[in-house]
Amino acid sequence: MLKNSLYTKKILSCYIVVIFFTLSSCTSLPKNKHATDSYDYIESLNRNSYGFNEKLDTYFMKPIANFYTETTPKTLRTGINNFFSNISYLNVIMNDFLQGKFEQGVNDSIRFIFNSTLGIGGIFDVATTDLKLEKNYEDFGQTLATWGVSKGRYIYLPMLGPNTSRNLPNYIPVVLLNPFLYLSTPIVVSTSVLSMLNKRSNLIEASNMRDEIAVDPYIFTREAYLQKREHLIWDGDLPLTETEDMFDIEEN
Amino acid sequence: MTIKQPVRHIIILLIIYIAFSNSLRAEVNDNTVEFPVIKLQNALLTLMKEPKKFNFKERYKNIEPIIKSLFNNTLISKVILGRHWKTLNDEEKIEFIGLIERLTISNYAKNFRSFSGEEFNIISILPMKKNRFMVKTELSYKQNNEIVTFDYIVQKDNEKWKIISVIANGINDLSIKRAEYAATIKNKSYKLLITNLKNKLDMLAN
Repeated sequence: MLKNSLYTKKILSCYIVVIFFTLSSCTSLPKNKHATDSYDYIESLNRNSYGFNEKLDTYFMKPIANFYTETTPKTLRTGINNFFSNISYLNVIMNDFLQGKFEQGVNDSIRFIFNSTLGIGGIFDVATTDLKLEKNYEDFGQTLATWGVSKGRYIYLPMLGPNTSRNLPNYIPVVLLNPFLYLSTPIVVSTSVLSMLNKRSNLIEASNMRDEIAVDPYIFTREAYLQKREHLIWDGDLPLTETEDMFDIEEN
Repeated sequence: MTIKQPVRHIIILLIIYIAFSNSLRAEVNDNTVEFPVIKLQNALLTLMKEPKKFNFKERYKNIEPIIKSLFNNTLISKVILGRHWKTLNDEEKIEFIGLIERLTISNYAKNFRSFSGEEFNIISILPMKKNRFMVKTELSYKQNNEIVTFDYIVQKDNEKWKIISVIANGINDLSIKRAEYAATIKNKSYKLLITNLKNKLDMLAN
């Protein structure tokens, strides 16, 4: 009974956070929608968090991720990646339905069931290779966007990286729908560490490429993140207006 | 009515000639919207298939003429610098265009260096405003069933279709550079931007 009431309190506080960030996203924003930096209200603070994360990455995360990539066979890394991708799929399915994508929701549910059973806990992605079921990327931030909540503010979080106030509430379903949360602490800690390692090793190529070409890595990360989010929200079919305007302005 | 043997031979030869010349024209027809995209993607596949022993300089030299002929680097530079473009003199403009061109070539030479059965496919061609088009393509990696989308915006320049923007998986290289360079000019200086770009080129070459 006490456990239940604690659990209800946890969920309630989560919803309060969701409502807070959703409302803060609804507040008025600059009309110049083409200047993405107009969403970066706290740039100096964000740059500090960025600097902290970069140091942490250079001296800690990147060397470990490089070691992991070099010493772990690719097949094993693929299996680990598939496993974590499958676990996070409960959030994808929930958001399919919240966005009204019912057919996609059913397909993603089938995908999850097949990968969890025949794919041995998601280690093998049999849904893609055998059933030819497409993998989708949905989250609560995208759901809020489809519900009409504006992008809000750009926030760069220590340890967690780039985000927007609209996307922050996504951490709640990510945490609550993670089955490991309901197991013992050592399991939660070890899987979280492995998950972080897997995420960082997946980004090695992209981060190296950024380091090679970015003149201002902070702006590069912000712009790439915001554009990627828009791409996901529009399922790859982004309206062409913004790109067109960029050329029109220069011609005039 | 029967056609005499020599006449029949001439007709057959004519049909073969017309068919052959048409197919040739189809391959090298540079008047189509998708032409620069197809040519670039073929060049990239060749670059990816090049032996690993080829160093950066050799790869750069091989892709350089293709990039120079297929991209409208003057318009790209103008869009990247935005308002600041008008403040540059002719010499500075030429220098900046050259840097952007070298940066594009270096990026391709550095990052397209291995081949494992990848395939480029054109998905659709969408009309945009002012006679611009978006050519949507996909690069599929057969090894891990992964797909990367590459969308190209093309526009006519001196009667030839040229690429003015590349969007990879929703990320527009041009908008990123525009924001980055504007911030560098605003927070530091144009001179420092040029120095940084030259350093980046050195980094890519090593």
